[in-house]
Amino acid sequence: MSLTNFIIRRIITFIPTIIGVMFLTYIIAYAIPTDPVRAWVSEKLTDPTIIQRIRSEYKFDAPWYEQFAFLISSLFRGELNDPVRHKNVFDEIFSRFPVTFELALLALIFLIIISIPLGIIAALYKDSLVDFFVRFLALFGSSMPSFVLYYFMILIFFTYFKATYLAGVPTPSVSCATTLNSLPQSYPVIGGIISFIGSVPIFGAAICGEWDVVTETIKRLYVPALSLALLNGGFVARIVRNSFLDAISSESIVFAKARGLKKINVWRHAFKNALVPIITIIGLNFGGLLSGAVIAETVFNIPGLGRYMYDSISRLNFPALIGSVFLVAIIYLIVNLIVDILYAYIDPRIRY
Amino acid sequence: MIRDLIYVLLEKTIDLYIKIRTRFDKEYMIKNSSRIREWKLIAYAYSRSSIGVLGGLIVFITIILAVIGPLVAPQPYWVYPIMENPETRYLPPCIPPICSGRPLLGTDEWGRDLLSIILYGFRISFVISIVIVLLGAPIGIILGLISGYKGGLVDETIMRLTDIFISFPGLILAIAFASVLPQRIREVLEANIYLRDFFSYLFGLRPQEYGQLAALLSVWFAMVIVWWPGYARVVRGSVLSVREQPFIEAAKLLGLSTWKIMTRHILPNIISPVLVMMTFDLATATLAAAALSFLGLGPQEPVPELGYVISKAGNFFPEKSLHVVAIVGSVLLFIALGWNLLGDSLRDILDPKTRRSIEYRFERRRR
Repeated sequence: MSLTNFIIRRIITFIPTIIGVMFLTYIIAYAIPTDPVRAWVSEKLTDPTIIQRIRSEYKFDAPWYEQFAFLISSLFRGELNDPVRHKNVFDEIFSRFPVTFELALLALIFLIIISIPLGIIAALYKDSLVDFFVRFLALFGSSMPSFVLYYFMILIFFTYFKATYLAGVPTPSVSCATTLNSLPQSYPVIGGIISFIGSVPIFGAAICGEWDVVTETIKRLYVPALSLALLNGGFVARIVRNSFLDAISSESIVFAKARGLKKINVWRHAFKNALVPIITIIGLNFGGLLSGAVIAETVFNIPGLGRYMYDSISRLNFPALIGSVFLVAIIYLIVNLIVDILYAYIDPRIRY
Repeated sequence: MIRDLIYVLLEKTIDLYIKIRTRFDKEYMIKNSSRIREWKLIAYAYSRSSIGVLGGLIVFITIILAVIGPLVAPQPYWVYPIMENPETRYLPPCIPPICSGRPLLGTDEWGRDLLSIILYGFRISFVISIVIVLLGAPIGIILGLISGYKGGLVDETIMRLTDIFISFPGLILAIAFASVLPQRIREVLEANIYLRDFFSYLFGLRPQEYGQLAALLSVWFAMVIVWWPGYARVVRGSVLSVREQPFIEAAKLLGLSTWKIMTRHILPNIISPVLVMMTFDLATATLAAAALSFLGLGPQEPVPELGYVISKAGNFFPEKSLHVVAIVGSVLLFIALGWNLLGDSLRDILDPKTRRSIEYRFERRRR
């Protein structure tokens, strides 16, 4: 099967999953015994006519299938409104998602820096001190309550060393943002791509050349990113170690050694064979990070997607919840798809 | 020394089990001699693995503390000393030779003795993790077995269903369920006094806190809902590899029922990775339940859920409440570490491939 067919088939199998995910979200929202409209309007606005108006606006007086159809259709038209903040749900999500993306990206970089070298060294020098350390780190990461680790990272980096700060997230200057936004009008294709990339604050600042904003962003986010990477790093390093060991003891590598290849070339072959499980686990980790690290965002006070979802659940704000869950499911789909395509690219046997 | 002791203990337990079975079935020992030999080998392998013994010891201490904790706690959790003396808020720990007259581990926000809080919290964390795994795993195992063995449309339906649950970020799904369930559970607990008494006894709480109990139970349900798909996937994968084996075909030809083939012939062959997964998940469930309480979805005052205690202390971190976060955090770390160490050694022991190397030493010892 060609790669294109493979990709198309993967996309089609995801459609029922996404509909199911949204239906599940809707059931959660529908299961709330209290009246969500009461929770949305503030105390002053308890005028029954207003409540009635909001109720009919979100089709609360209609049967459940009409409500669901209403939510889905307005979601696809992009007209779903956040009843608490009185803004379009997608505007709210897209103002928060870049922050989560920055955090996930930094965490991913730390994760790769920590886990891949450690895993390879542990595989090459089995039962050495590094191997023991990898084992310890994996055990630590899976046993440590994440929020306790975050508090201690704050204690070390914020209270003692004062090497970070915990309020707000830096954004590029207004002139930079307006320049980036106006780019698509003057250069349709390239400008559009640049402005899309620039919508992530750290990239936008880099494009405008505002390097102080870039360093400030890194300074703000490196502690949570490092903590997230520490929690997952040991586990990933163990997977790297095990798959590398499997690859190195395989017959093809024995043959390569027998043929008298240089050591570095033998390792290169082994690394390519070991790459499939490594890519899976790192891809899954990245997907998880993109869908919002709720606890990290709460403790470090980062206004990201996870926080938004958590806030909307606690305020019974289910239009916002459905919108964010939809986005998260799409992200999950895309990350999974990229992982699968990378698989099929690395190992053609998978394209069955 | 301690290894030999553990081995003898486990061997005696196996012998006792055989004795009981022999009462009902005279030929049990002869029929199952190879199985018994394998059990003893597992016991030997376990007693030789130092991390396994350490993990087992930690788990043993956890169980003991969870059982007796609420009974021996020096102070009840529902009495707030801060009402009488505002000075008792966030007292630092006090180790006897250096200072005296204050609680050993310090106090929390309400001036309560931290040691008592931890003893109560042990029971809650332990019970909740055990029940999450013991409820979630069977659901996943049964669905995975059916899906893998039947194949076709049933398989497709069940797998799409697990896909739906898995493509959610687990914590978000649990948060969502944990935030909608309490009211419904509260109604049930209000109506049924026996249920209320049973659960409050189980968690070591007072029956009149059934509102908090409902929050605790909703965390519990939410986690079970999130938990089963992982098992369904793993079990289905293993079933697919076992299904085509000749002995399954033989069982089919003998005319055994589908249920019997699934439970007696497939399940024993795939159960060891599931057992390992369950052990690891006990650690994950403990931490995840604490995380939900940390976010404020679990029980609130005065129930001493460990995650909630940390989230309260976090507001005054690190000036006043460093000791609370450190001590309660290390308690959670302790519980999770025990299960993880045990799971790590079980993974090696229950895998027949790695067990063979231990078998050799075992045989030499017997001779």
